Amino acid sequence: MQLGIERRMVPHIPWSLIGSILAVSALGIWNLASASRPPHNPVWTNQMINLLVGVAAAVAVCLVDYRFIYRMAVPVYLLNICALLALKVLGPLRLQPAEFMKIGMVLMLAKFFHDDYRPTDDSYGLVRLWRPVLISLVPMGLVLVQPDLGTTMMLLFTASTLILFAKVKRSVVVALGVAGLLVAGIIWNDYIRETPEPHGTLIRQLLKHHQSQRIASWLDPERDLRGSNYHSAQSKIAVGSGGLTGKGWGQGTQTGLFFLPEQHTDFIFSVWAEEHGFLMCLLLIALYGCILLSAMGVAFNSRDRFGAFVAVGVAAMIFWQVFENIGMVSGLLPVTGITLPLMSYGGSSLVSVMLGLGLLVNISMRRHIF
Amino acid sequence: MTLGQDSAGRSLKTRLGYLGLAMSAGLLLLAVQLYRLQIAHGDEYAARSVDNFVKKIRLHADRGMIMDRRGEILVDNRPSFDLFVTPAFCQSCLDEVLPRLALYLGWDADQLQHAKDVVKAGKLAGNFQPALIRIDLSRDELDVVNAHRIELPGVEVMRVPHRNYRKGAVLAHLLGYMNEINQEQLERLNDGGASYALGDYVGRRGVESYFEAKLRGSDGMRKEVVNARGEPIPGLSELLAGEDPLQPQPGSNIVLSIDSRLQDEAERVFPGVAGAAVAVEIKTGFILAMVSRPSFDPNLLTGRVSASQMAGLVKDPLQPLVFRPVAQHYSPGSTFKPVTALAALKSGAFSPQTTATCNGGYRLGSRVWRCWSHGHGVVDARAALQHSCDTYYYKVGDTLGLDPIAEMGTALGLGSPTGIGVVAEVPGIMPSSDYHNRKTPGGYTKGMALNSAIGQGDDNVTPLQLAMVYAAIANGGSVYQPQVVRRVESVDGKVIEEFNPKLVRQVDIAPEHQKIVIDALSAVVNEPGGTAYASRLKDIKVAGKTGTAQVARLGSVRVKKESMDYWERDHAWFASFAPTEAPEIAVVVLNEHGGHGASDAAPGAMAIIHKYFELKREDANSVAIEQTAVPEHPSLKAYARTAPPSIR
Repeated sequence: MQLGIERRMVPHIPWSLIGSILAVSALGIWNLASASRPPHNPVWTNQMINLLVGVAAAVAVCLVDYRFIYRMAVPVYLLNICALLALKVLGPLRLQPAEFMKIGMVLMLAKFFHDDYRPTDDSYGLVRLWRPVLISLVPMGLVLVQPDLGTTMMLLFTASTLILFAKVKRSVVVALGVAGLLVAGIIWNDYIRETPEPHGTLIRQLLKHHQSQRIASWLDPERDLRGSNYHSAQSKIAVGSGGLTGKGWGQGTQTGLFFLPEQHTDFIFSVWAEEHGFLMCLLLIALYGCILLSAMGVAFNSRDRFGAFVAVGVAAMIFWQVFENIGMVSGLLPVTGITLPLMSYGGSSLVSVMLGLGLLVNISMRRHIF
Repeated sequence: MTLGQDSAGRSLKTRLGYLGLAMSAGLLLLAVQLYRLQIAHGDEYAARSVDNFVKKIRLHADRGMIMDRRGEILVDNRPSFDLFVTPAFCQSCLDEVLPRLALYLGWDADQLQHAKDVVKAGKLAGNFQPALIRIDLSRDELDVVNAHRIELPGVEVMRVPHRNYRKGAVLAHLLGYMNEINQEQLERLNDGGASYALGDYVGRRGVESYFEAKLRGSDGMRKEVVNARGEPIPGLSELLAGEDPLQPQPGSNIVLSIDSRLQDEAERVFPGVAGAAVAVEIKTGFILAMVSRPSFDPNLLTGRVSASQMAGLVKDPLQPLVFRPVAQHYSPGSTFKPVTALAALKSGAFSPQTTATCNGGYRLGSRVWRCWSHGHGVVDARAALQHSCDTYYYKVGDTLGLDPIAEMGTALGLGSPTGIGVVAEVPGIMPSSDYHNRKTPGGYTKGMALNSAIGQGDDNVTPLQLAMVYAAIANGGSVYQPQVVRRVESVDGKVIEEFNPKLVRQVDIAPEHQKIVIDALSAVVNEPGGTAYASRLKDIKVAGKTGTAQVARLGSVRVKKESMDYWERDHAWFASFAPTEAPEIAVVVLNEHGGHGASDAAPGAMAIIHKYFELKREDANSVAIEQTAVPEHPSLKAYARTAPPSIR
């Protein structure tokens, strides 16, 4: 195991990636300072500490050769599974193992696709997919029973992205398409179809009431402004009222008047949008785009399949969170408890994203080492 | 080896490109959505964000007062601490907050359920509207709620004016009461331009209901900056500077024609457990006092009555909710005879000197119709009325038939509503041959005319109708519409609407006929041997007629054996006016199952008349004193306007 950074690695440090990450983190803390202004808890100071911890973790990840990380993928994955099980047994913890599970799953899948590579048959059929699917399903199942539907969805999307990226047979794509249609059909049957008599539902009765309500209110936003759709409606008002240039830092009325639930975690983007307006929203999205494309670049130049898959996995993880979070805040997607990477308050979320970014930098720096 | 130096690596890089494109497309989609919200609909959402934190607080308008003719307050408002829940601000209201509240305030399951129902209804109606859960919180309850404020989101106690019926059961039916508006009424009233909210109280019955629109006033509105829990945020209301709160407009006051002092006396002297008394001004039709026994307490019915109490009121065989002066009709008995007498004299078939011979009955066909006495001998019109000789009236009925009698009765206002307006009334029955042909099996026969001539048979009158008949006889045939309201006044005493006497019709009564009837009625009271001689007043000559009406038992009501007597006793009537020379006031007393008119109704009526003249003298003296002292005093003007001409 090699530790430290050698001189020849320095040219390959992805400065644009690091720059965008630090920029978003800084904006995040600035925004959090507004979202948690009195009489809220001034949690932004805690977030500074979280950020320092995250940066330290990222630096630590950078220092080890990622071949060591490759070897550690299985233990990390198993450790995370154990943590999730422990959570089930011990009850709530301060740390959220589900956040770290994302990284663990990405590493595990990357290791699998690295090891499983067959130059003669590089695309996956249904039969060959059982192991990666199992690798993804175990953590998903554990997170789902937590219950944390939102993170489960994130795991599902990230794993799906990685599996698709690993090149699957056309038949699998068709099967997925059919599955997608099936889900749409179920939603239609359970939430949209109107019959004179109450009709049987397929999954609706299995969901928790609030989860079911969220799907229903996403499908019909005007249904009950104060009830289940409250979050979505209030957050759309916050975002929309920001206009082009926003109300100014600390001037958001939606923010200041407690209208936004969980405004410093899941709904942090609405604070940004309300106070800083459309242009700054574009800036933030552009910075995320920069991070994602830099990650693509890291994957593009990585030394081996493991590196490429880790980079794509981390990028997918960040992308889906950004997409779902901003999508839900702006009313495009149903409300799920998903944090916005680097902006939302929360140690586990921030540190896990930072770990992922450490991996990216690590892979980037060691692209030509033999 | 680096990635991409073989074909597999190259294909991976191609897929990376696609992935990058897909992610960019995803971010672009977000940007488009943000554009839609912030730029395309930005103004709309900006407006909504303002609405969001500005809570509109209703400022309750004071409901108008109800006063008697001299300005004595009968109904006003007093402050009460009421408990409200605003559903929008009350998280897990039904499962946590309300049960907690029930625990703190010691509610039983019913009360908790009621609160839940109210909140559920409130959620549907307007989530931000505070819904009234409970009224009249005690000081202790108030302290408990305040102490647990934090655990009771959306729960607040507000100081709300409550209706205060100062005299309790006195005039209850006429004044009415208030209770919560129902959904249907809410929609109907608001469609008509009013602004009621669920939980608002609305007038029921009587003046409260009839003048609801005038009494109510219009609520004001103040805006307050609140957070999503509905808590006011200090220091932010200046954001709203420049927006003046809409001040509430208090409702108008209603001035009745009732003289509270006379009313009190009438209540005091009322002789029985059930019945009615009416005192009315002969020259205007304004009502001075109106008693209905038994009564109820409108304070109780205004939101404080329990289901069992209400059931008790409804099931009470004495029917306390019925406003007897207008909403119940009775057989008038002998008090009807002046009508028959006038009909007889008017027909020409009977001159004042025409006589009948009473040997204790009258034979029609094979049947003898009995007089109450064993024999009055030869009686003319005057003597027949004075002694209430049934035989004479049987003869009138036999000679004239029913229709001329019905015509006179109808002209004097019997058989149709008086038009008092403020309260619901029954029309009573003035039977005619046509009526019997329609209603009675076998149709009209002569015997019915005989029965009706003495005020039995199908004759049915309300006490108020009878008072109006006597007033019309006393004033020479002017039938007025009885009224209980003199004026509608603004809060500062300006007259908004004044009600003047309304003449319904002038009945043609020859002065000589009127004189015979008045003489006879005066003799009833003032001559020895008259049926009401025992109750006569020393200084005032009263004309009146006793009546003892046989009771067709109160049909459906079944009562215990020991009270059977009561229900089978006759109704005691006394109908009168005074003074005989220049009549001013007509008084009718009906004592249900009271026994005899002479002993069980007349003394009460006499006491009312006595009080009326006593008050009149008092008022004249005090006006004289005030006039000499401060001739231009504004209150005096108000008084002069208030006092009816007859009293001044």
